[in-house]
Parts: sequence; structure tokens; C-alpha cells
Amino acid sequence: MNREELYAIAEKWFQDQGWKAFPFQTQTWTAFLQGKNGLLNAPTGSGKTYALWFPIVLDYMKKNPNYKTKHKPGLKAIWITPLRALSVEIKQAAERIVEDLELPLTVGIRSGDTSQSERAKQSKKMPDLLITTPESLQLLLASKEFAKTFANCSAIVVDEWHELLGTKRGVQMELALSRLKIVAPKMRIWGISATIGNLELAQQVLLGVNSEAYQNSVLIKANINKKIKVLSILPEKMDSYPWRGHMGLHLIDEVAKIIRRSKTTLIFTNVRSACEMWFQAILEKYPEFAGDMAMHHGSISRETRLWVENAIRNEDLKVVVCTSSLDLGVDFAPVETIIQVGGPKGVARFLQRAGRSGHQPGKESVIYFLATHAIELIEASALKKAAARTIVEDRIPYLNSWDVLVQYLNSLAVSDGFYPDEIFEEVKNTFCYQNMTKENWNWILNFITNGSQSLQAYDEFKKVEIEEDGRFKIHSRMIAMHHRMQIGTIVGDASLNVKFLSGGYIGSIEEWFASKLQPGDVFTFAGKRLELFRVKNMQVLVRKADPKKASRVVSWMGGRMALSVQMSELLREELYAANTDKLTPELIALQPLFARQRKESIVPDTNEFLIETFKTREGFHAVFYPFEGRFVHEALASIISYRISLLSPITFSLAYNDYGFELLSDQEIDMESVFDNNLFSTEYVHHDLQKSLNSTEMARRKFRDISVIAGLVFTGMPGKPVKTKHLQSGSQLLFEVFRDYEPDNLLLQQAYIETFEHQLEEGRLIQALERINRQTIVWKQCKKPTPFSFPIITDRLREKLSSETLAERIKKMTASYMK
Amino acid sequence: MNIIINNQDFILHQSGAVFWEKEKILLISDVHLGKVAHFRKHGIGIPNNAIFENFARLKTVLELFNPTTIVFLGDLFHSKINNEWNLFVQWTKEHSQKIILVEGNHDIISKQNYSDLNIEIFNELEIGNFLLTHHPTEKEDFFNFCGHIHPGIQLRGLGRQFLSLSCFFHKPNQLIFPAFGEFTGNSYLIPTEKDKVYAITKEGIIEVAIN
Repeated sequence: MNREELYAIAEKWFQDQGWKAFPFQTQTWTAFLQGKNGLLNAPTGSGKTYALWFPIVLDYMKKNPNYKTKHKPGLKAIWITPLRALSVEIKQAAERIVEDLELPLTVGIRSGDTSQSERAKQSKKMPDLLITTPESLQLLLASKEFAKTFANCSAIVVDEWHELLGTKRGVQMELALSRLKIVAPKMRIWGISATIGNLELAQQVLLGVNSEAYQNSVLIKANINKKIKVLSILPEKMDSYPWRGHMGLHLIDEVAKIIRRSKTTLIFTNVRSACEMWFQAILEKYPEFAGDMAMHHGSISRETRLWVENAIRNEDLKVVVCTSSLDLGVDFAPVETIIQVGGPKGVARFLQRAGRSGHQPGKESVIYFLATHAIELIEASALKKAAARTIVEDRIPYLNSWDVLVQYLNSLAVSDGFYPDEIFEEVKNTFCYQNMTKENWNWILNFITNGSQSLQAYDEFKKVEIEEDGRFKIHSRMIAMHHRMQIGTIVGDASLNVKFLSGGYIGSIEEWFASKLQPGDVFTFAGKRLELFRVKNMQVLVRKADPKKASRVVSWMGGRMALSVQMSELLREELYAANTDKLTPELIALQPLFARQRKESIVPDTNEFLIETFKTREGFHAVFYPFEGRFVHEALASIISYRISLLSPITFSLAYNDYGFELLSDQEIDMESVFDNNLFSTEYVHHDLQKSLNSTEMARRKFRDISVIAGLVFTGMPGKPVKTKHLQSGSQLLFEVFRDYEPDNLLLQQAYIETFEHQLEEGRLIQALERINRQTIVWKQCKKPTPFSFPIITDRLREKLSSETLAERIKKMTASYMK
Repeated sequence: MNIIINNQDFILHQSGAVFWEKEKILLISDVHLGKVAHFRKHGIGIPNNAIFENFARLKTVLELFNPTTIVFLGDLFHSKINNEWNLFVQWTKEHSQKIILVEGNHDIISKQNYSDLNIEIFNELEIGNFLLTHHPTEKEDFFNFCGHIHPGIQLRGLGRQFLSLSCFFHKPNQLIFPAFGEFTGNSYLIPTEKDKVYAITKEGIIEVAIN
């Protein structure tokens, strides 16, 4: 069959559905059938699934002219999705094509939700088209004779590549692809990405630096422009607007009005606990919604989530309170309205959420922004500008993630083993490890074989063994089993399954939260009021609670998001506009707050850098306002407090948000000396950052994930009771042992590098300091906290930095006794 | 730091050891020897050098106090026998002090191993009106020395300052020892009005103010 005939088949199918293929779809078909690799830039709900399932199927028909009668078994294509929830939809799309074209192809899903028996069946006979996750793909690479499984695979599609890029799951994909290129030489590699700032780089990361695959690739853009309208939810009277972050519940009545007006509304919150609270609050104040309302977040059981997703599709629900768990993929045509509670921090995320509504072509997407505290309203007007100018962020890929490499090599070692020289070349061709030296490589090999020590007689380290012919292999069945259980790069706090005493799985909560509960305590989770019966074997057994009993809402740890560079710039622009007469509705609404701010202090202009100092019963506060986003403030707070601490012994507690940072101390901070000693200098930034104790604290937290990914902390199966307590150790403890006894360990060093590059963003920090140096410093000695300072000084998540001795500090501190 | 309990003098050392002056006994709890080797044996690459820190610490306190007897208050050896045991055997051969082990929950290796080294083993040990155990135990008319918990304390101060440290936890009739071993963690206790807390720093021991 020639290409024309194949296109005719595809186009006829589209006609039968009453559709017409978009140019980006036909372009993708052509490129694929020409044997090219590529990256397709297309938004959710645009028909991107058909842009790639079709050529995969057409290619099969082309190569097997008698496909209708003769079926060659074996894996033909892999579709990678970052979210298990999306796999059902992708499978349905594939099945639709296969059935309509009367092809004898089977479609299967393999993910964490796939049962043991199903997996075993698949291992014997792989489906023709397999939909899976990056983790499950790694697991396949960790099984015996995996090379055979993939040998005749003709395509791999990595969906939502933008979500993986810039995470360690992306690195995991890079490594898997480096292997698959060799074991499946005929395989085309395709990625699908939403719009991000660095699409060209995304393409290169997917395909490998200077690789043949990259040379033979294309970037196809769907260019579907969607109109997005951003509306702020403003109260009638601004007096009631809280100064600091809350849940935004004071606007619940306005939200209810919006819900009533539209068919289906999705309310996005930034964290799971806010999701739980909003659900409760609406239920209590507007019980009439009870039957048409649901909640969706990552810790709720899969059955419930699937039910909610289906209910949205079937238009059974009026309102769903959700988190980023509903960000991706799933196409919800009936959704009319989106409400975003709290700052979304990034433009891309916000636009993507906005895109969840108004799926009909040409229809405008409307998103309401609900600021949880007054200053967040500035974010709203910044977001409007972003949407108008379609500004989007870059996703920065990881470099030299040794933890992921260690895990990958162990995976290869539990499958058929590997020969280092062969794998070195493959790994070196990935984007992540392009700068890896032979020395780094040898360190990694030594780490997995000797536990990073040289061979010593008394040492009993055992993991990967080197066979006579030079093959690296894990022989111990127990170590292999432990490794398979731990494959993955998403590290969460240990979580416990929540179950009813009578049976029935509800979801999972984190261990630290469970540990705060006593039997009989009531908590709200998944929209239910539950009473704790007991915690046993990693299971939280509960029963329905007495509705009159007081309850607390489950909360989860989890990083806070920081404003992207693009957002911070827009935010500054908006704020500086406050002193002009070009006021947006949000800025007009904020006038009372600005008036209060000006009474005690100022609203800074473009050329002003504001510092406020004041005393409260907590101690002496100094608040700085660079408006550079949380991560930069974290670094600035770290470096400025370190420099001040060199002048005289002092201890600080540091807090920061997206607008500024605070140094809090029990002593008064000598501001004059801060200015006299030029403490905002850009000189020695790297040195000072490294020296500040704070970076150690951050590295310690980075090390937590690294140690789990590299297999130094054994966490066991998620939700399963751990029988290996004797092999558990806190990553805190590990960090200290490595710091004290093996400071040159690459994994430890990686923790510092990630701190400086990903967390502290040294580059952005220097730019920020340069900007501050060009500005006039305005130091206001205030009598009390200002509206600007309020959200920062009330933040309880803090870092510390001290140049006092431990003894001096202990003498000033106390332990409170049990009352 | 010197403290007096039941009219006897004791010296608390920042390593977590306590020297009983009159009896010339050195008390040590929760060394957890063999833990590093145990992890390594199971493919978890903890730095091997951490093993030697425990022996270095033992050397320091032995030279400082020159005791005639060493009493380990349990959890001396973390796991099943591994090569770290050989290092311990070597160590005992180089020392003439009498060694006693009060058994802890981690001490699961065969008692024969200890008796071969002339180490006496007790479930609990009474010396005068002092009761030495691994798990905190209350017995009328006795003051209890024990370990097991790995106590730590959390302090707070003006300016939202917080600190967490290992400590000796002194209850009216009990002294809970910190873990002596490297690569062991803490569990944080909340004192009552009647308790005293001695925090451990590298420079020395500091009594914590409680309010």
C-alpha cells in the first residue's frame, strides 16, 4: 500500500466521525511514515492522540499487506503517559481505530494499577500496543530478556513530555530511550508536548544530543490559539480581604454564584488540604450541591478518581474541587468554568488549567482567579497580561542526576546484566549525562559494586557483582526484589492506606499526619468524616465519625511552588503600576491596602528597593522586598543573613514568599552596617552561598529524594507493610554519615548541586543582586507590621542561620514541659 | 558535667557515656555496632569509615576515665553477626576491663559469642540502690539507668528559633542515656516539671532550661 492509499484510509475514518484532520495531524502522519522521529507541540483536547496512533497503525498495515489474515504477535508500539489516569482514555482512542479499521491488534495497559495476574499474562504475550508509565517501562527493563520483548517495536510515543522534562522522571525516560534505541533499532521516537518556552531543547532532550535520532527528527506545531479570558473574583467590600494567605473561603458566596451559573465547574486548589477544606466548606454552606459535587486529588483511591472523571464526562456533576491531579490529559468537554484558588505560580500551568474549559473549537476559555489574600490580587492582574501576551516558561532539564543513573544501572543488573563499555556510550549520548566523565562513570560503577569503598578484606558489601566476562549482574534474589519494589523517582513521605474497619479502601495519608492522631480522633478526608480506630501494619483503620465531633482536615507535606521568572517580572511590573494612574480592576480593589501600606511605609517604584524593620513580641524583624519569586528569595535570605552573621554572632530565622523575605532575630539587626559593608554585593556569591548553613539544610532535604532514588533508603512497597524495618534509616541520618565520612560521594555532591542550581537558582540570584544594586534602598523603620510584610512574617515554614555557638544558643532557649 | 544521684557522683560525657566515680564503672548505652556493616551487606552503601568512629569514641572515654568496668546498657550489637563483630572481638582483646552487657532488644546474637569474650550478660543488673536495664524500668527504692529510647530534646527561643539535640533525660528516679553509637537516630521527648534535661553538644553538656 502506498502512502496515498494509507492517507485515504485515515481521512475516510476522520470523515466517518464527522471530523476533518488538522494540518498538524497530517504533517505528523507524513513525518512518521517517512521514518522520522519528532516532537509534536499540541494542546490537550486537540486530537493529538490520533496524530500519532494513526501513523503507527498505518505503518503496520503498510509493512504487513496481509494484516487482516496474518497477525504477527509481539509488541509493536509503546505509549508513555505520566499519569495512570490518562491511560484508559488513550486505550479507548487506540481501540476505536483498531476496531473501525478491522485490525487484529490488541491494546493493553501496564501500570502500577495493573494486577499481578494481568502482568504475568502480558509477560508471556505482550499486547501489540502497550500504554504504560515511565516507571513501569523501567520495570520492564529490569525483567529478564527484555531485549527480546522490544526487538520488533516500531514506535514509542512519550505523551505530555513537558510534564516529564525538568523532572527526574524525564531523566528516567532519557535513559530508557538510550537503551531502547539499541535493542529496538527500528523504533521511531516521538514526544507530545504542550507549549513551553524551550520546545527545541525539549526535542533534543527527548532524542539525545547530536544523536542520529535527533538528526532525523522534526518539530511539528499545532498552532491552535485559544482565547483565554481571566476574571478576578472580587468581594463587594475589600475591608474583609485577609492580609495573609488563607484558603480564600471568604469568597465562598461569590464562588457559589459562579457554580450556579454554569453547567460544570472545576475548582483548582494548589494543595490537597485546601481541596479538602473547600469541599467541606461548600458542603456545609450550600448543602444543595451535595449530590452534584465531588473531589479529586492524588491521595484519593483510584476507583473514586475514575468515578469522578467519568461523572464529569457524563455531565453528572455540577462542581468538582480538585488539585493538579486533573491538570493533564483527560478531555472534559462538558466543563464550562474553571476557578483557580490561590496563585498558580506559573503561567503555563494557569493557561493549561484555563484550557480545561470551553473545548469546542473557537470557543473562549474562561478562568476565574480567586486570590486567597490581598496581595495575591496583583498576581491576578499579572496573569491577565501573561494570558494576553502568551508568555510561557521554560522547563529546565536535569543534568548529571547520579541517583537516577544508579537506579537505572541496578535495573539493568537485575535483568540480564550489562557490560559497562556498551552502556557508557549509550548513557553519554543522553542530554542529562552528556558531560559525564569516565571518572564519574567509574565512581558510579564502584558505588554499585563496592559501596563506593575500595575492596577491603572485612567489607561485606554486596549488591552488583562482576562476572568473569565483565558482565555486571545482581545475583541476590532479595536485593533484586528490593530493587524492583523501589523503581521510580517520585519520592513522597511514607504513606499509609486508609481503610474502613468493615473493609473498603478510601485513599492514603502521610505517616507524619497519622502519627499525630490518637484513636478516637476525628479527621476529614476524601470528603468524609472519619474516626481513627487504630493504626496497624501501615494501615489506618477508621469508621464513620459522629458528625457532631470536632474534626481536623488531613494535610500533606510537599514543596511549595515558586513564581517562575516570567511571572515575577510581570508581578513587579504590576506592582510598580500601583503608583501610577494606569490601574487594573484588581489594583483599584487594592487601594485600601495600598493606603495602609503607605501610612507606615511605601509602595516601591521601579527604582526603589524597600526594606522594612520593626519589632514585635516575636523579636526583631527585617523584611526585604525584591519581588523575585520564592526560590530567589530563599537564596537571598540565605546569603544576606550569612553576611550579617559574619559581622557579629547572631541567630536568624528566615521566611520568604514570592514577594520578599524576612530575617527575624532575638537581637536588633544593625541595618547601617548592612549598607556600610555593601552586603548586596555580587562578589563571592557562590562562596557565600555554600558557606551559609542554610544551603546545607536545603541540601539535606534534596538528599532525602536522592538517597531514596539511589536505593540508600529502603521504603518498601507503597502502602504495604514493611518487613524490613532493620534496613530502614532516616535520610537525615544518612546525610550526616555521608557528610562526615564520605564528603566526595557523588550522590552527596549532587544534593548540593541541585540546591544551587534548582533550588537557589544562583544565576537568577546574581541578576537579582545586580538589579538591587541599581536601585535606591529605602529603609523604613516601622512601628508595626505593614500589609506587605504580613504574609511573610506569619509564615511558619522557616529556615535558620546562626553564627552563635551552640552553647550560647542553648542558654537563651528553653524546652517547654508538658502541661 | 558532674551530677549527684543518691549521694553518688557521676560524670556525664558528651559522647553519651557516664562515669560512676566510686565504682569506677563506665556506663554506655545503644552503641549499635554492626549496623553499618549490616546495611552494606544488604546492598546499601553506608560509608564504611563510620564503623571506626564508634571505636574511636570508646578509646576517648576509656582514656579519659580509666574505668575498671564497662557496662553496656543494651543494643551493643545491632543485628546478626557480621564482620564488625570481628572488630569488636579485636577491641576486647586489647582491653583488660571487665565488660558487662545488660541485654537489649537488638542483642539477638548468641550469648555464646559474649561468653567466649568473658563478657557477662544480664537481663537487668542491681548495684546498690541502682537498677541497670535496657528498657526504662521502674522499681521501688531503685534509681534506674537505661537506654533504648535514644532521647532527644527540642528547644525554642525568641525570634522563632528552634533546636533539636540529643540529651540525657533525667527523671526523678531514672536517667535515660543517649545513644552512644554513630549512625543512630533520636526520638524527641517532652519533659515534665520534675525532669532535668542535659543536652549534648560537641563542646560539652549543657543543662536545658525548662519552662
